[in-house]
Amino acid sequence: MAVTQDDPQTDAVTPDAAPTDAAPTDAEAASFAEAQALASAVLGGVAAPTALDRDSRSYSNPLLDKVISVPGLDVAVATVERLLDWASSNSFFIFPMATSCCGIEFMAAAASRVDLDRMGAIIRPTPRQCDVMVVAGTITVKMAPRVRKLWDQMPEPKWCVAMGSCAISGDFYRDIYSVVPGVDTFIPVDVYVPGCPPNPEELMKGLKRLQVKIGMQRDGTWQRSGMPAEARPETKSLKLGGLLRIGDPDRAAGLSDAQRDASRSLGFDGAEHRGADEDHGNLFDPPESPPASQAAAAELEATHES
Amino acid sequence: MSTDHASTHVVTPWTALTPPPRVDPYVDLSEFEADGDLMVLNLGPQHPSTHGVFRIKLVLDGEVIVKAVGYPGYLHRGVEKLCEKLTFANITPILDKNDYLAPMTSEQCFNMALEKIAGVEVPRRGRWIRTLLAELQRIASHLIAIGTFAMDIGGAIGGGTNLFMWTFRERELILNAFEELTGSRFHYNTSCFGGQRHDLPAGWDLGVIKALDQIERRMVEYADFGTANPIFVNRCRGIGVLGRDLALELGLSGPLGRASGIDHDLRRDAPYHCYDELQINVPVLTAGDCEARYDIRVQEVRESIRLSRQLLAGVPEGPICSEKPNIGPTSVRVKGAPAYVAIEGPRGELGTFLIPTDKGTQPYRMKIRPPSLHAVAVVEHLLPGNNLSDAVAILGSLDPIMGEVDR
Repeated sequence: MAVTQDDPQTDAVTPDAAPTDAAPTDAEAASFAEAQALASAVLGGVAAPTALDRDSRSYSNPLLDKVISVPGLDVAVATVERLLDWASSNSFFIFPMATSCCGIEFMAAAASRVDLDRMGAIIRPTPRQCDVMVVAGTITVKMAPRVRKLWDQMPEPKWCVAMGSCAISGDFYRDIYSVVPGVDTFIPVDVYVPGCPPNPEELMKGLKRLQVKIGMQRDGTWQRSGMPAEARPETKSLKLGGLLRIGDPDRAAGLSDAQRDASRSLGFDGAEHRGADEDHGNLFDPPESPPASQAAAAELEATHES
Repeated sequence: MSTDHASTHVVTPWTALTPPPRVDPYVDLSEFEADGDLMVLNLGPQHPSTHGVFRIKLVLDGEVIVKAVGYPGYLHRGVEKLCEKLTFANITPILDKNDYLAPMTSEQCFNMALEKIAGVEVPRRGRWIRTLLAELQRIASHLIAIGTFAMDIGGAIGGGTNLFMWTFRERELILNAFEELTGSRFHYNTSCFGGQRHDLPAGWDLGVIKALDQIERRMVEYADFGTANPIFVNRCRGIGVLGRDLALELGLSGPLGRASGIDHDLRRDAPYHCYDELQINVPVLTAGDCEARYDIRVQEVRESIRLSRQLLAGVPEGPICSEKPNIGPTSVRVKGAPAYVAIEGPRGELGTFLIPTDKGTQPYRMKIRPPSLHAVAVVEHLLPGNNLSDAVAILGSLDPIMGEVDR
């Protein structure tokens, strides 16, 4: 019994429902059991879901937008969006892009104490079966094209979690010639989990934030323009500014030449591929010439004028 | 070491086994038909059994590996160059990230090199605590090596994932103790120039003794896993036999060398810290196969548990850190001749060669001798002649850490 009649909060929320809030009498319980048995018979031997238990109304199942009660049978109604949201946010298939120390903490998060399986997350070492990439560890210039390639192999919809300061900003390897200063210079990152390395509990908290974000994206309440200030806590105080990030196309590039050249070669399809997708491509510079479609339109206009 | 838990398992010497047909690692591939016989398979850099980012280019003739070429460098972070820009006090937390399964020994090795140059002696209590922490770190590191190796060869079917879960459960006990002592699960930054930064809190040893009891009780199961599980034995015995000569030639040390019959342990042969006050039993096996590399880690964990109990029982009184030639709150001035210091890390001889600058505040050159680099060098010699499925078992038994291979 999660909620009783004495709970003041329940009374405040649903004052009119006070008579039905009463604990069920024996007759009511018997009729409810009967209805449940009938429902299970109708559903073909499937046990009636516990969410229909009238006594534990605090158990919120996101599938149940609305419960239509007819005598002997309760029917749950849900929208497809909420169904997808519920399913995808509770069944993360995680691709561990683990390179260094954070990978060990990622393994600890998947192991017995923290146990990511509790939130439905399964770790699969192939990108083609996964929808969440956890970048755990330093990404070097030599490794970055592989990360990008693995990211492109993951099917949509997909999300990325940057775990640890190295994946977020490069940390103190930031100025080293062989290190990419933050994984969000070449793939879009949804959740940043700061720490060096973050505890397994922190990673779990980050994944729960990702669940919230997925729900908000489905609802359309997620603001895509501009990142919230707290999203990148590690990089706020770093002196080397002006790094171009995914979603910030106007910022000036601050990469060294070697990093820029290496990162430019990330799109394995070449320049057309980078220009094609605003989110994923055109990483460091605004396009020098207008796109081909605009040029064609301008040419067409010129011919019309003449 | 309690005798009732001692392993009664007798490992067959590797000379009695029929070793797989050795194939020259520098074999001329033109002997094979290019289109008909050979297939090139890239293992890594993103592969769970490479324990990090390590790429091996395998040339296969059917199931048999003909040639293997290793490509490290996917985690090259320029650590040695980075350290030349930093002061001595700032370097310790960076070296933690080198060997991220045993940060305690990494930072101890660097600080010992500093102390050797400056001629500073660490107080006995500081050395004692370093010894204790190094042994506990060896237990934690070997637990991960055992668990990940079992997961590599067994997967979910052979019971390997069970062992992975169990060893991580035991490792958390050690990490709890470290977290209570230093405030961090790993990347401790607890060893500093002249001694230790954190003293043992009151009652800390009771928790550690409890954890050690628990680990020793469960090590029986892990030892049984290596002897009583037929899947494990069939996949490991006689696989990846590394001879003594090849091991010596490639500079192997630590558990890999001792599994191949090299009776060498710096804790006993060139004592540092407080190891000269302890009686250390060095387990040596001669089989040199994957099973021996598993067994030697199990035995070393037991030996480390025994040493840790001795160390916990007799922690001396006194200061934990000596007087330092400070030139400010965060820096020291160290002048002197270059020095090389080697200690016995969980993976073998971990060395630091250090040349200070003329001002004495920064390293002019710092070279790290990582044991895992030599373990990775073995791959080209061990893999040819084996089946493809054995490559995963051999890689898992080597337990390389790419953070210190690539640095």
